[in-house]
Amino acid sequence: MKKIDYREIQGNSLGYWVLFLLFGAIIAVAAGSAYYMEHNGHWVTGMDNQIVWGLPHVFAIFLIVAASGALNVASIGTVFRKEGYQALGRLSGLLAIALLIGGLLVLVLDLGRPDRLIVAMTVYNFKSIFAWNIFLYTGFMVITGVYLWFMMERKMNRFYKPAGFVAFVWRLMLTTGTGSIFGFIVAREAFDSAVMAPMFVVMSFSFGLAAFLLVLMATYTWSDRPLGNKVVFRLKNLLGVFCGAVLYFTLVFHITALYATEHHGFEHFLLVGGGIFTQLFWIGHVLLGNLLPIALLYWSKTGSSRFWIAVASTLVILGGFTQIYVILIGGQAYPLDIFPGKEVVSGGFFEGQINSYSPSPWEFLLGMGGVSVAMIMVMIAIKFLRFVPGSLADEGKAA
Amino acid sequence: MSRYAMVIDTRTCIGCGDCVVACKTENNVPAGLNRDWIVEATNGRYPDLTTEFRSERCNHCSHATCVYSCPTGASHYWRGTNIVLVDPGKCTGCKACIAACPYDARLIMRPEGYIDKCTFCHHRVEVGKDPACVSTCPTNCMHFGRIDEPESLVSRLLRERRSKTLLPETGNQPNVYYLV
Repeated sequence: MKKIDYREIQGNSLGYWVLFLLFGAIIAVAAGSAYYMEHNGHWVTGMDNQIVWGLPHVFAIFLIVAASGALNVASIGTVFRKEGYQALGRLSGLLAIALLIGGLLVLVLDLGRPDRLIVAMTVYNFKSIFAWNIFLYTGFMVITGVYLWFMMERKMNRFYKPAGFVAFVWRLMLTTGTGSIFGFIVAREAFDSAVMAPMFVVMSFSFGLAAFLLVLMATYTWSDRPLGNKVVFRLKNLLGVFCGAVLYFTLVFHITALYATEHHGFEHFLLVGGGIFTQLFWIGHVLLGNLLPIALLYWSKTGSSRFWIAVASTLVILGGFTQIYVILIGGQAYPLDIFPGKEVVSGGFFEGQINSYSPSPWEFLLGMGGVSVAMIMVMIAIKFLRFVPGSLADEGKAA
Repeated sequence: MSRYAMVIDTRTCIGCGDCVVACKTENNVPAGLNRDWIVEATNGRYPDLTTEFRSERCNHCSHATCVYSCPTGASHYWRGTNIVLVDPGKCTGCKACIAACPYDARLIMRPEGYIDKCTFCHHRVEVGKDPACVSTCPTNCMHFGRIDEPESLVSRLLRERRSKTLLPETGNQPNVYYLV
């Protein structure tokens, strides 16, 4: 294997600082939003007793799922020994940790009582999938940190492969755990499916790789470093496969649900008559989030253009965000069927009503704060530490 | 586990809402929030209709998914019974229990942010009294007691009358019974 020369980026350009200030400003506004929601309670948000997990949770879950997927590139190099991916391992690990921290920040600040975080970190009910996930998230951060250290510290290099293997297994467990949060909620027609766990694993492959591709291309373009087509095309081809896999699991999930009579009501709601959720599912998730990116990535004219690969990656991210919105918010919007076979004439609660949800600006800003934290961490890390190879030019071409 | 149950006769419930008022008064439930509520449900098509009033609340399930889903153990069983309580000091407001409850029986207390619910008035049960809603019911359609004691009123009613629970298929083993 040829020696890879990792170098810090200079990070002195106007563009770097403008981007840095932009993310910094979003983080400041997000912090203000979090304070406002914490100080006044959740009633100032669009959430209520029916839609208890809102837009910040969509951001948080997206970032956490994408974090585990972002590590894939490193895993392919280390676990499956594909040399072409090994140079990208450090950036992959860094992005994974950054996205996870961004996601967790949003998650904890969206708790009804963020001041009680210490309770969540010290008192556990091990029958709860939510408690398991606390260990999976913190464990992922520690393991990936160690993996990165072993990759970057010459003395520890000999241990990086076992560390990479542990990180790979852990990232699979992490997304299985995140998907199982929904899979284990038997009370809701929209969740309650074992398919949720593998579907989230595949979603992580797709979202994480799309995020990685965008960060990679942006880093190399804006720092004027050579990035060969071989690397980019290999990753974009893989992204197309992952998009297909996400569609496959979506299909399996809904066919399984349609087979069971008890889920017909929700399936009709989501696929046909759910208004905004139906539109988001078909147009946002299926068409723009997966079918169009597959076409862009594999059609020879667009698939060989960096611009269109970036567009496809952005669409995958937006489509993934939409998919989680539909799963999470759509699943809560559909009412609990507490009285099968009966029509509720009146009630003090919300029986039979589709629950409405309008996200507040505070929720959106908090979510964007998580994204900005992840991005600013990557920007700082690659400026001061050697995460990025000086050149990723195709072999035989000048570096 | 000592099993407490509430048995509500849908034939004598008139949907007056006194149980709701009693609960709010006894437990200082803030305006706009309810620990219990009344449902009027119909079955069939005109003119062959039947209507049923039901006073509903947490079912204090023997296999409560809310208790199992709570990451910190804030949702717990009270002193070896099936009465499900929330410890506000341990509740982080993550709302996992709300998502896990098939009966929509939990609420977010505002502005504090912890999760609240029916307690079966355990502070009254502790001193041998019925929950406030049961004590207040003007038609005496609500009954409370130990279902694991064969000679208790609730056990006798369930032996002598036809009854149902809500969503038994969830496997939660609810302990609020409706006489039909």
